Amino acid sequence: MNTKEDEKWQALLALSGPTFAGDAEPPYGFVTATLARLRAENRQQEEFERIGWRALLASLGALAVAATVTLSVNLHDRGGDFEPGVNGAVQMESIQLS
Amino acid sequence: MDETLDVKGCLRRWKEGDESAAEELIRHLHPVISKIVRIHLPRRDDESDLVQEILMKTFSRLHQYKGDAPISHWVSRLALTTCLDRLRAQKIRPEIRHADLTPEDSDVFDAAWLTGSTPDGRDAIAARDLVDKILSSLSAEDRSLILMVDLEGRSLQEISETTGWSVSKIKMRLFRVRPQLRQMIQKLEKQK
Repeated sequence: MNTKEDEKWQALLALSGPTFAGDAEPPYGFVTATLARLRAENRQQEEFERIGWRALLASLGALAVAATVTLSVNLHDRGGDFEPGVNGAVQMESIQLS
Repeated sequence: MDETLDVKGCLRRWKEGDESAAEELIRHLHPVISKIVRIHLPRRDDESDLVQEILMKTFSRLHQYKGDAPISHWVSRLALTTCLDRLRAQKIRPEIRHADLTPEDSDVFDAAWLTGSTPDGRDAIAARDLVDKILSSLSAEDRSLILMVDLEGRSLQEISETTGWSVSKIKMRLFRVRPQLRQMIQKLEKQK
């Protein structure tokens, strides 16, 4: 049910109607400016992707080097039965005193 | 509207790096976005910047567009969501009083409501100013809903498709906001 207030509201909306209409054509320079912004954002996106890939590859490389070093140290240490400090003590024990 | 442009072809060309396809899409979508921005955002905001922001969002999310509905529907939803976000960021103003009206607002108030005068260009701008002032005390969602129903004459189903709100939620909102609006108008009249 429409009240007096509803009718007044509708009248006000009808009066303001033309100000709500959109533009059929973009304003002068809008398309050029939008394309330029689109281009800039695409370039930035590509740059971020490139930086991201480089960072990922660098991290993988560092990880591989660290793994290799750890593995080689580990293999090297397996040569003795004891830890380096213990090895020293064992060697001391075996010194013959004259 | 979508029939006038080969949207799928444009999207394909744009993905291949053809900038003229982007230009065609911008020209095609501009009227849709500009209309939504003009309706749902008070005039003090920079309209052109917001239209451009929505277009940027559109291009960055084009890969999500499935093509099962016209692209204008998909873009309308994106535009409305962006406008609502912008409106939410603005502080809700306290309820308008007659003393807050400019002399032009006051003239329109009398002309449109009491004498029912014929609108001319000057009246339209003042009337819009008054509409914005009245709606500024409503929440972003209520403001947009009232305009979609009362100004655009959209059905509840259409509103549901654009906003993603259920029809019952829309009915509930309308049921709650209508008396609020009536009360505001009554108060303005009494304060005259």
